[in-house]
This record gives sequence, structure tokens and C-alpha cells, in this order.
Amino acid sequence: MFPTEIILYCLMGFTLFMAVFAWLAKVPIKYNLRNLLVRWQVTLMMVLAFVLQVGVLIFMFAFVNGMYKLTEGSGVPGNVIVLSDGATDEVFSNLGFADTSDVELHPTVLQSENPDDPGPLASWEVYILVNQPIPSERINGILLGGDFEGDSMKIAHVSWGGVLASGNLQVGDVLQKFNGFTPANHESLQKLLAGKMSGIAPLDFNRNGSPHQTFCDLGKLAQVGSTRRFLQVRGIDNPTRSLAVHNLPLRSGGKVFSQAGVQTIKGPNGIATSAWEVILGEGIARTLASDQKKTTLEAGDTFTVADRIWVVVGVMKSSGSTFDSEIWAKRTLVGPLFGKNSYSTVVLRTKDADSAEITAAELTKSFKKSAIQATPEKEYYARLNTTNQQFLYSILFVAFVVLIGGSLGMMNAMFAAISQRLKDIGVLRIIGFAPWQILFSFLLEALLLSLIGGLLGCAAGFLADGWSASSIVSGGAGGGKSVVLKMTVDGQILVFGMLFSLTVGLIGGLVPAISAMFIKPLDALR
Amino acid sequence: MEGIAERIDSFLVPLVVTPGDAIRFTLVEWLGFFVLFTGFAFAGWAWFYFRFILRNLLRNWLRTSLTAMATMVLVLVVTLVWTILLFLSNATSEKAKDLKAIITEKWQIPSQMPFSYEADLSEGAPSKNGDFRVDTTKDSMTWQFYGGTVDPAKRTRENIVFFFCMDPNKLMTVNDPTIDSLMASIPIPATYPYRKEETGEMVEIKSLNLTDAQKKDLEKVKNAVQKGQITSMMDGLDEMAPEELVAMRKAILLTLGDKRKVVVGRERLLALNKRIGETFKLTSLNYKDIDLEFEVAGVFPDGRYNQSAVMHRDYLNDAMDDYNRRNPGKRHPLSDKSLNLVWIRVPDTASFQKVEGQIAISPKFQSPAVKCETASSGVASFLDAYRDLLWGLRWILVPFILLTMSLIISVAISISVRERRKEMAILKVLGFAPGQILIVVLGEAVIVGILSGFLGSFSTYYLINEVIGGVKFPIAFFPAFMIPFEALWWGPTIGAITALSGSIFPSYNACRIKVSEVFARIS
Amino acid sequence: MEPIVEVTHLGKNFRRGLEEIHVLSNLSLQVPQGEFLALMGPSGSGKTTLLNLIAGLDSPTQGSIRVGKELISAMGESRLAKWRTRHVGFVFQFYHLLPVLTAYENVELPLLLLPLTYSERKKQVLTALDLVGLSDRLSHRPGQLSGGQQQRVGIARAIVTDPTLIVADEPTGDLDSKSAEEILELLVILKGALNKTILMVTHDPRAANRAERCLHLEKGQLVNETYQNFNVHTQAVSH
Repeated sequence: MFPTEIILYCLMGFTLFMAVFAWLAKVPIKYNLRNLLVRWQVTLMMVLAFVLQVGVLIFMFAFVNGMYKLTEGSGVPGNVIVLSDGATDEVFSNLGFADTSDVELHPTVLQSENPDDPGPLASWEVYILVNQPIPSERINGILLGGDFEGDSMKIAHVSWGGVLASGNLQVGDVLQKFNGFTPANHESLQKLLAGKMSGIAPLDFNRNGSPHQTFCDLGKLAQVGSTRRFLQVRGIDNPTRSLAVHNLPLRSGGKVFSQAGVQTIKGPNGIATSAWEVILGEGIARTLASDQKKTTLEAGDTFTVADRIWVVVGVMKSSGSTFDSEIWAKRTLVGPLFGKNSYSTVVLRTKDADSAEITAAELTKSFKKSAIQATPEKEYYARLNTTNQQFLYSILFVAFVVLIGGSLGMMNAMFAAISQRLKDIGVLRIIGFAPWQILFSFLLEALLLSLIGGLLGCAAGFLADGWSASSIVSGGAGGGKSVVLKMTVDGQILVFGMLFSLTVGLIGGLVPAISAMFIKPLDALR
Repeated sequence: MEGIAERIDSFLVPLVVTPGDAIRFTLVEWLGFFVLFTGFAFAGWAWFYFRFILRNLLRNWLRTSLTAMATMVLVLVVTLVWTILLFLSNATSEKAKDLKAIITEKWQIPSQMPFSYEADLSEGAPSKNGDFRVDTTKDSMTWQFYGGTVDPAKRTRENIVFFFCMDPNKLMTVNDPTIDSLMASIPIPATYPYRKEETGEMVEIKSLNLTDAQKKDLEKVKNAVQKGQITSMMDGLDEMAPEELVAMRKAILLTLGDKRKVVVGRERLLALNKRIGETFKLTSLNYKDIDLEFEVAGVFPDGRYNQSAVMHRDYLNDAMDDYNRRNPGKRHPLSDKSLNLVWIRVPDTASFQKVEGQIAISPKFQSPAVKCETASSGVASFLDAYRDLLWGLRWILVPFILLTMSLIISVAISISVRERRKEMAILKVLGFAPGQILIVVLGEAVIVGILSGFLGSFSTYYLINEVIGGVKFPIAFFPAFMIPFEALWWGPTIGAITALSGSIFPSYNACRIKVSEVFARIS
Repeated sequence: MEPIVEVTHLGKNFRRGLEEIHVLSNLSLQVPQGEFLALMGPSGSGKTTLLNLIAGLDSPTQGSIRVGKELISAMGESRLAKWRTRHVGFVFQFYHLLPVLTAYENVELPLLLLPLTYSERKKQVLTALDLVGLSDRLSHRPGQLSGGQQQRVGIARAIVTDPTLIVADEPTGDLDSKSAEEILELLVILKGALNKTILMVTHDPRAANRAERCLHLEKGQLVNETYQNFNVHTQAVSH
């Protein structure tokens, strides 16, 4: 994220300077320390201010660092990703199989070592962004819209991502014998709807909010229930091979989806229904689970996307990569459903990073059947850092402004310290201390204050480490992946935090310390 | 700065009651008067304190100005963050009247629909009597996106233009033909604020030299926006000056007459290094093999559309048809995917629900299926990915900055109390009550807080809006966030509250000063 | 014997606004090694200015000052500072100890500027504090000491570097008569024991009486010179 060496050198420079200051200044450090203790209220407030500033900066950097870790951690060094020519992101890429199938025959592509699944280590994929309505807190069941005619309702839409939507209840169905929507008769409605649907959990109108409202105020529901999230669905031909290419093992208890990609599951009310099998990344498994008030989805759990039930068969150990937020399913099912019949990418495994680079260059140059563009996978993901950079710059801007604010506060404290200790300065000067020694002494005091504040701030900021947060990474020109990232506080951020607080100490201490240099000893004692 | 002056004017307008109006005051106004009068009464009493406080502040002007500057820069950060949060919360909060609905492909992103959906979707897909029918002349528009580069060898940001393809009428719809002829009669060129000389050179128009009658017409044009005679599906119509409205209308008429003509934002034009009247050719990035030539007919008024470019949708669609005719058996891959969005405007929530239902039950939109959502919920969906980031900005960054501000003020006040212990003791000897000393100290902090807070938000407003052109924070698809006018009271409020909370402890210390102790120490 | 301080044709002007104030003019003075000299005079007579000039805290407008072998009137500010550290010990009216440092640390302060090891410094500080009779107050802060004791710490700080010259500006001005007497006694003893040259500004005639010679200044001129017959007490003062 930052040029580590530079900030490390800066910090070392600071430490060195402080040591040299302390040595040259000759005024004992305990003089400064004790003075800090004497005006402990101001010291405490300044330290607290440092803790807040450094803490919040580390918190923000941890967020962006998590994004960087994600883009840096994605991709396997030996992999080559093939996109159609001109596509900057896999969302925009279209590869026809007929034109491109030969790429996997390239001599540097490794062969699968799995005796059950022989063939070149190539993963054929279609990447689709799909939106899923987010089940909201208030309604947890059904979202119906339609015309009310007397005591019946013609269903205009059933667009709810919760439990109901994938049932047999269809748009255009008419719900009869329905005398207004009151709390009293919601049970009969429940039965009525339950009868209409097979393989679906009974509607749970009661769980959140009042049923009365749920059914009377359809307009409101339409709005409340219509926030969506973007899911990243990857259609895969051969899941075993793709997992091997991407080096993604499944969590124990999971398996890959079947050849058909579909299985029949038993709904909670005992009626069989078909569901599409998927493998989930760990992050998206947690996100989807939050809709169902669970911590994570596991093999056997279901969820709904695009009016269909999807059943989890396995969860990938994917943390630290963008695959963490992906849903993998059978390509021949999801591709046509979302109108994408071609492939978007092929990922090829070669021996190592060097051979990936060579292979990518060769394919881009000499593959003639169709216009493709091959990139080492590491490089492809590293390019998805435009958003990271923009966030980083925004945070640096905030850091800069806070730095100014903090320095001004520091100046206040140090100017006051100097005016309180004019007599001390006078005596020191008369005894024979040079002006620059006075400067160093006060500068050192400011730096000490900022050092203490910085250390405590780093400790406070460290609390941010390990939090999960969602964000978007993208390579700038459209596209972008929603990701679940892990906020990471590491050495370089802590070093940056220290550097920040020492800089505040330096700027905030220097100006007053320089003014202390010009104090006339005889005037000071008068 | 002009902008601000105008806004202050419009802010003050309601206070000036014209004779014709019945004098009615709302509760808020009564409250305002009450506050004003008590304020004056209070001011008299406070004058003594105020002078005293002010003198103290000026005595240590260095500390006062350092504290003030620290407050100002931190107000800057808070204002920026709140601007973003306020904008997003406005954009995602549902309106009850005049709401915009967005129709897109149901599941996939990016949304791609066949252009054949256009006619039905624009009307809101009414199928029977009593269905809600959208007025397609002014309340709906279609969006298609055509991007290309002027130099296929060099695809830099400067070389790339993304056009919104639409019915240009929807940029600015004139619903009253008399207004249209009125506009045509006013001698403002489509190229305003530039004029094309006979030499072909573009010269900035210094003054318009309008007759009084024409100036009156211009006034009518301005009013036409308020009266709804001129509408737009896009935002920002009310921000435009009447001269700009006229020029825009003329540019639109030009594009309607010749679909090759386009309207481009001034920054984009500058980046392309093109001028009004010049032509350029684009090699398309998203519509492969459909390369088009354009002529710049006009520019957008300075503001939010500085980076945008608009072309006639027919130009793209005709080019697609032409491509399919020329290549029999090989349809362009985007033939059935060229319609990206349809916007419609409905008067209220009930009509929205009707339209939503109409579209949902219509058998015409099966493959692909479509969805209709309010603009705000569409925005909210995009923002869902950023929810943790926004949460962090709102609940971590801002509170931390506010606390820091409070601490910095607290440090300053603590120091000044410490230095003035003797004075405080003397005040006590002279008969000042602890409460009065408290007021002096708190007052000092609050005055610094309010003044620097105001300066902070005012300079932020000026700096960001007038100099930088908005907060450029890369979230969703918003290019830049403008500081809202109401941000001008955020600063003083933040300043007052943080100063008050920061000075409670030191001022309590000040009023507890024991006279005997202080003098004992001195002697 | 060559005098340790030699002041020749000394003049010092201050500028206040447009007005030029002649504080000292054409003043010549010699102080022999080991003399205890008191400077007296009404306020504004220039006695403190003279003291500051001899102590190298200020530079003269005219004339020259020689202390020991060095012509300090020709030195720059930073050389003066270095020279002061080695050759001048200061005693102030208000003691001017650093409040956050202990007696020991206050006395140690001037030694920090000299190239001494920790143990050498320690030895010297302990000796100095012992000479002023404060061996049992090493780790007391100034706030915990009486006025007289603080002034003793001040004196210890002045002698700790073994200076050529001790200058004292109203050393008893802030003390009650008993403590003042003790401090003067101490100065006399130190002078005798260490053979130090002491320059003291005072307007207390009793303090001036303890000096060997007393110079009276008025309007920047030497007006009178008194020699006192003075017997040095040699017995130690016990506390």
C-alpha cells in the first residue's frame, strides 16, 4: 500500500534525530518528562487527541489495506487468465468456445494430476453479476403486488428474495376469498398461500412487524423490500478442475456440484422441489447467512436468487481472495438463465510465475483463431486496485488535514509550555546552554508527547485488526467486485501511524521551539 | 461567489412579505421571531461579557488563532464527510411526489434490454383501461451508452468519450409551443457563451445586447421552469440561467435536426481538445465496428454535466440497423441488448405502484425480464456494497474528529485558565460569582468555536464548490459531491457544541479557583 | 599581581524608542583575584548592567572587559555562552532553580555542558552541595526547600563548575534577615576556602559590609569606593 522502505527510513530518521537531539540538547530528558507530568491535564488531553487521531487513521488504513491484501492475494502465480481482446474486466469479456478451446492445449499448460479428472488444468468460466433483493428486517416473507378487485387479489408480482418467491405462486394467480387484510385473518391467508406453494417453508408473517401492515401497505413493502445486493456468480463447467486451477480447497463436509448441477431437496413442509447446486466463498456464505439470521451457510442450506432455490453443496476456503465473495454454479444452468451463453474467461495453470508471463505473452501475440488477451492472473487482480488507490488518496487527504489540525493544537500546548517556563529558559541560557539546545529540548518534549500518544494510538488502532467489512474493488473502467475484506493492521500501517504522530509533534513542536530560541535570557528573568 | 449571493437572496425572499399576500406566519417563523427578540434582549445583558471575553481572546491572539485554525481544518473534514452522507441519504430516501422510477433488466448487471421494449416501457406498459399511462413526451426517457475513442491507438482518459444516447428533447422538454417560439426569437446562439465569428473563430460573448422586450422574454423563460412549461428528466434545470436555457434549447433543436450533432460538457470538450462546430470521429469501445462521426453543436452549462456528452439515440440505433442490413446473417452482438435503462416520472407513490405492477404482469417482457424500482432504491442497491465504509465514515471518522476538536479546544481553554488564575481570583475578590466566571470561560470557547466553525464551513463551501468543483470521492457512480448550502450552519454548530463540551471541565476548574490559594502562592 | 577582572573605559547605551539612554559611561575598574566586591547604588545606577557585562550576559557599547586572560567584550554570543559555563557562576535574587528538578539535578545542570563523565559530575555535585551544607537535601525539589535553602542550592550551582568568577545579583534580596545573614556568611566562607572572586550587586548595606570592597555607582559612574577591614571567619558553619 505504501512504499514501506521510505516510511521505515523516515521513522528511523526520526528515532535517530530524537536520540541526537537528546544527546546534543544536554538538558536532561527527565526535565521534559517531569514538566509533562506537572501539567498533566494538558498532557493527558493531548495524548488523548493523539490516540483519537492515530486510532482513526489506522482504522481507515486497515480498511484500505484489507482491500489491497485482497487484490494482492487473489490469483495464483502460475495462472494465466484469458479474456476477449479489449475487455478490461471479465464482466465485459466474451469468449466463444469454438474459437478459443485450443488455448488449453498450449504446451505450457499443466495437466491435472487427479486420476479421476484427467485433462489440462484449465478453468472455463462465465462471470455474471446478478442482483438479489435483500430480505429486510421488517418483512420476512412475501412481497406481493397486484390489483385488488373485491375480495380477491390478482398477483402482479412476487418479487421477494425470501422464502416464498420460488414457489408455485405465479404472477397472474388470483388469490380468492380474501376479505381485506387484517391481523385477524392473516392466518387464513397464510394457509391459502401455503396451499399454493409446494416445497416452501410456511410463510412467516409474524416474525417481524405486524401482518396487518405487511398486507395492507403493499406500496411501502415494495420499497422496503427492494434494496438489492450484487452477487457475483461464476458459471463453471468442471468444478473439480476449476477448484484445482484456482488452488481453492473446499471446507470439510463440502463437495463439488454434480454433473447436472441440480438436486431435489425436501422442503420444510415435505414437498420435493428442485434446487441448483452451488459452491460458495466463505465471505458470501456469511453475507447470505445474515439474511437467515445464521452465522454462515453450510452444505445443505438454501437461499434464493432470481426466483430460484439454490442449495449449497460446498464452501471454499477462499478468504483473502476475491473468490471469497463468489457463488459458483453449473455454467450450463446459470449462463442461459442470465442470457450469457459464451464464456467470459479461461484460466490456465502453468508451472510458475515466469512461465505464466511467457505463456500470456505468447497467447496474446500468436493465438489466431480469435482475438484474445492473456494476462498473468496475479497481474490481472493487481490491476483491480483503482478503487483502493482512490480510497487511499482520500484517506491520505484526511490524514493531511488532521495532521494540520493536530499540529495547530500541539503548537498551542507547546507555546503555553514555553511561556510558562520562560524563567527556566532564562536560567538555562545564562548558565551557558545555547539557543539551539533550548530548541532541541522543547522539540524533544513535543516529540515525546507525540511518541506516547502515537504508541497508545497504534495500540487503539490495532483493535481494528481482523474486522470484516464489505467494499468494492475495481480496475476503474466499470465492473468492480463486491468483496468481503478483512481489515488488516500490519507493520507498515503502525509505522505510518507513528510517523504521523511524530510529524504532528515535529511541526507542532518546531514553531514554538524556534520561538523559544529567540527568548532573551535577561528579559526572561525580569 | 455569485452563486452564494443568489442563494442568500432566495433564502431571504420568504421573509419579505409582498403587500398582496396575506400575512401568515408559520410556527417556525414565530419561533424565529421569538428567538430573535430574546436574542436582542440577551445581547444587551451579554454585551458586558462579550466585550470582556473578546478582550481576553484578543490578548492571546496567537492561541486564539491557532485554536480557530485547528477548528477550521477539522470542520473541513466533517463538512466533506457529511456532504457525502447527506447527499447519499437524500438520494436514497423515498420521495412521495414526482418520483423517478428506473426500469432495468431484472437480474443482470449491467442491464441490457432489447430496444424493442422501449415503446411499452416508456409508457409504463399499460394494457387496459384505467392503467396508468406515462406521458412519453415529457415523463420518460431511454438511456443507451455509446463509448469510443478519438484515437484507437491511444485509449487514454482524455481520448475517450462516453455518450448518453437519448431523445435530446428529454434533456429539456418544452411543453408549451409559445415558449418555444419565444426562445427562438431571443438572439442567443446555441453556442452561448461563445459566438462564432465569420472567420470561424469562437469568441466569448461579453454582453448580449438584448432589447427590453427580449429581456422580458428571457424573464418569461426563467418563469417557465417554475410553471412547468419547461421540464427535464435530468436534474439541475432550475440551476440554469435563462440565457443557458435558451442556448440549450437551440442546441437541442440542432441535434434533432441533424442526429450527428451532439452536446458535450465543457471539461470533456477541453480534454478532447475540440471546439464547438468541430467534428470528430470515434472508434467505438463497446459497440464493436460501429464507429460514428460527430459534430459539437453546444455545450452544457457549467456545472454537473461538465464531463458528460449527449447524442441522439436514433444515430446509434440507425447505425445498428444499418450494420445488420450490411451484414446479412450476422447480427451485431448487441442488437438485442442496446437499451440500458428507461426512466419514467410518476406523480406519486400510488402511480408508481401501479406502473410497477403493470410492468410486472405484462407478458411482453419475459426474456429478459425487467424490473421497475424507484430511483432512490436503485441508488440504495448500488450503495449496499459501500455500507460498511459509510458506516465507518459516519460513526467512526466523524465522532473521532469531533472529539479531537473538542480536546484541542479544551487544551487551549485549560491553558488560558491556568495562566489567568490570578485574574480569576481577583474577579472573585471583586465580587464575581462562580457562575459569572463560568460564563466568561465558556463564552470564550463558544465564541471561538462558532466563529471558526463558520469560517471553516464557509471556506470549505467556497473552496470545494467554486475552486475544486465538488468532493471527488469515488463512491458508486457519483462524479462529485457539492457542498450543500445548509453546510454553512454545520460549522458554527459543530464549533459551538465541541467548544462547549471541551470547555466544561476547564471552566469548572476556573470557577472553583480558591482566592486564598492563588494569593498564597503569589506571596 | 594582575587583576582577574579588568574593565576599561566601559560604556553601555540602551535604546528606548528614539531615545538613547547612557547606562554606563567611561567606567574603568579592576578586581584582583580572590576579592569579594560589592556593587551598590540606587536603582537605575547601572550596577546590574555592569554585573551582566562582566558576567558576559551582555556586550558593551564602548570599552573592553577582560576576565582572566580573555577579552570577553570581543566575544560573540555563542562563545560567550561557552565561556560563561566554564568561568562564571550565577547566584540570583529569586534563586531561579528549575522547579521540576531536584536539588542535585539543579546543581548538575551546568556540568552537563562540560565534557565530564557521570561519576566526575556526581563527585563535583556532591562536593558543592556539601560545601553549602545541603548533603541531606539532594533529592528535594525547590518547592520543598525554604528560601534560604534554595539560595544555597543556587550557590552550589554557581560554584559547581569551579568558575573563575561568581556573580550574585541581590542574593539576599528575597530572604529574611536571618537567612540573608547565613547566605552572606556562606559566601564569605566559600570565598576564603576556595579563593573565589565574587561580584555582588546589592542595595542592602549590611550585605555590602561583608564585602572587602564596595563600589558605589550613580548614573553610570563610579562615585565612591570603600575598603572594609574584614576578618575572614574560618570556622565552618554547622547546621
